Amino acid sequence: MKGKKGRLLIILFFLLPFLLTLASLSIGRYHIPPADLGKTLVRTVLPTSFPGVPPEYRDILLRIRLPRLLLALLAGAALSVSGASLQALFRNPLVNEYILGISFGAAFGAALSLVFLGKGFPPQIAAFLFALGAVLAVLLVSGRAGSHTVSLLLTGVIVSAFFQALLSLIEFFANPYALQSLFFWLMGSLSLATWADLVISLPVMALGTAGLVLMRWRLNVLSLSEEEAAALGVNVRREKLLVIVLTSLSTAAVTAVAGVIGWIGLIVPHLVRMMFGADNRKVVPLSAALGASVLIVADDITRVAASFEIPIGILTSLIGIPFFIFLLGRSRKVWL
Amino acid sequence: MALTLRTAVAGIVMTLVTAAGPAAALQAGGQEALAVRDSLGRNVVLPRHPEKVLSLQPEITRIVAALGAGDRLVGADYFILKHDHLFPIVFPGARDLPAVSNTPEDMNFEMVLRLDPDVIFVSPTELQMVDALQGKLKRPVAALASMGSFEKLVEEILLVGEILGREARAAELAADFRARVASVRRAVASVPAGERPRVYLSFWGMLTRTPVAYEPVDAAGGVNCALGMLPANLGTIATVAQAEQILEWRPDIVLVQGNYPPRERTVTTEGILRDKRFGSLPAVRNGRVYYTFGFWYWWDPALVLVETLYLARLFHPEATGPFDLEREANAIFKKYYGIEGAYSSLCRVLECGGWDER
Repeated sequence: MKGKKGRLLIILFFLLPFLLTLASLSIGRYHIPPADLGKTLVRTVLPTSFPGVPPEYRDILLRIRLPRLLLALLAGAALSVSGASLQALFRNPLVNEYILGISFGAAFGAALSLVFLGKGFPPQIAAFLFALGAVLAVLLVSGRAGSHTVSLLLTGVIVSAFFQALLSLIEFFANPYALQSLFFWLMGSLSLATWADLVISLPVMALGTAGLVLMRWRLNVLSLSEEEAAALGVNVRREKLLVIVLTSLSTAAVTAVAGVIGWIGLIVPHLVRMMFGADNRKVVPLSAALGASVLIVADDITRVAASFEIPIGILTSLIGIPFFIFLLGRSRKVWL
Repeated sequence: MALTLRTAVAGIVMTLVTAAGPAAALQAGGQEALAVRDSLGRNVVLPRHPEKVLSLQPEITRIVAALGAGDRLVGADYFILKHDHLFPIVFPGARDLPAVSNTPEDMNFEMVLRLDPDVIFVSPTELQMVDALQGKLKRPVAALASMGSFEKLVEEILLVGEILGREARAAELAADFRARVASVRRAVASVPAGERPRVYLSFWGMLTRTPVAYEPVDAAGGVNCALGMLPANLGTIATVAQAEQILEWRPDIVLVQGNYPPRERTVTTEGILRDKRFGSLPAVRNGRVYYTFGFWYWWDPALVLVETLYLARLFHPEATGPFDLEREANAIFKKYYGIEGAYSSLCRVLECGGWDER
């Protein structure tokens, strides 16, 4: 998509997450009159204003909706950018953000915490550490990031399978109540996000995403063959390692606080490529914007579709897969 | 549309999980038998007075022990033998029972065959297990559970008593159970509807997971905030509430399932009281966040009576008057299991001594 229409669409893409965030502040089970939304926000800044605003409005807006919206915004961006970057790096359209063992590494860490370690070792921290541990294992086993991409991908599959087996072992010995908590965590949810969770994870997601956005032009070079990239003066091993570290940090940070939210990192970059072409200078930042919007809308749906909370990972899969099949049928472009 | 479909599916499942029906005497293969309609609505023929009972349903295992037929248990499920803190206290013989499963879905069929049970009890929530046992082993299998209802629990006690030939003991326990619940209901009956506390229950190790029905709360003069919600897990009575929903309910009291040793608790009363998201809740503002026992793979008949007493005193101390809960609870356990000081022993594990003191 080129020309004036294309530029307008790009501007809309970047504005959309912020507009959706504002609109989503008014969505939820607890009805807050629109006029009171503004008053509550003003009262937060100026505590003496609007004394008639019920205190629970403040709790709902600032302690429940805003943290989960910020998490949706940054998690959506982080997962999409990670997916887009790894697809470019591995020159493989089927790669997603969890390919290097992050999801099962994180799941194993959370399981270990929920089933055996108890509240002394929170699942968020365990998930983050084991997600990074899984990537480290992939790098060590495959013989560092400079090795052939196929070797890295295969090692990712093997490490994932290893952590999956460990996860199954924990599930086998867990009591059913711990198991229920674990299943809910594995299905992904933004519902219990608190500022305490976000204070560390959001900066990590932002750092990883921003780093990848800054590297977008180098991803174009890395998506060539390694020989061609080296001929253009790029230190392939170093750049590859940097991409892997940044994607791992941001995806692990998302998984640690929101569980496993699938398909965002696969579908969103492809949608962007269908609309704007395969140039990573556009694909990466636009994936961030669209991924954030998609996850905000998905989170809105989980909050209003039923009287109970629907895990967002289920929703992204249920909506994402048929949508992806539909798009595949409509497009015959080569995306990479 | 999604909600309508879910309502329909939930309705079908809840219809399937029905109250166990009365038994009818039969003759099967020269042996006296009973035709029973189980909680899944299946008509099963069970041998009368079986000598070897395999129970994969903790609630039934406890009832068998309470009926004084624990010596007929030849095996049990993983949960009651590995995770239940109360059962080894009230039935010391549990330590010698072999576990024939390790999760709700697995089963060592060869072990079951070796134990050669005359009858197998399972939970109606494990539909696949029912079919697998019946199909593979050709043994009589009955799926029974109270599904969180006092009257269904009483019916269950009477039915198991009839199957085991312990009718008199079952009738005694059923009468005792009904009398104790009625006594609590009478004590709080005069409390006007407007003064009954709205109660939110955080069960099963998750802040937002809650039962859509919990009769001990009703009997003790409280109102379960989630009453009438659709179960999120079909075939169960559990749902996952939204944090905003909890704020909208404005519970006067929050109850956290405390049926775990403290080191295993992932949700704590202290954590909820500190959670700023819930700072505006009357329960949090007034420090009325407490532990209670809750489901532990359905109920223990004695423990749920103790819980009802505990909740009545917690909700309406002026109506129940002061009483020594530990003494009353030990008496209930003595009545049901014949063990002295069982409640005190359980409290040492759960550290439940000062749960209602704040």
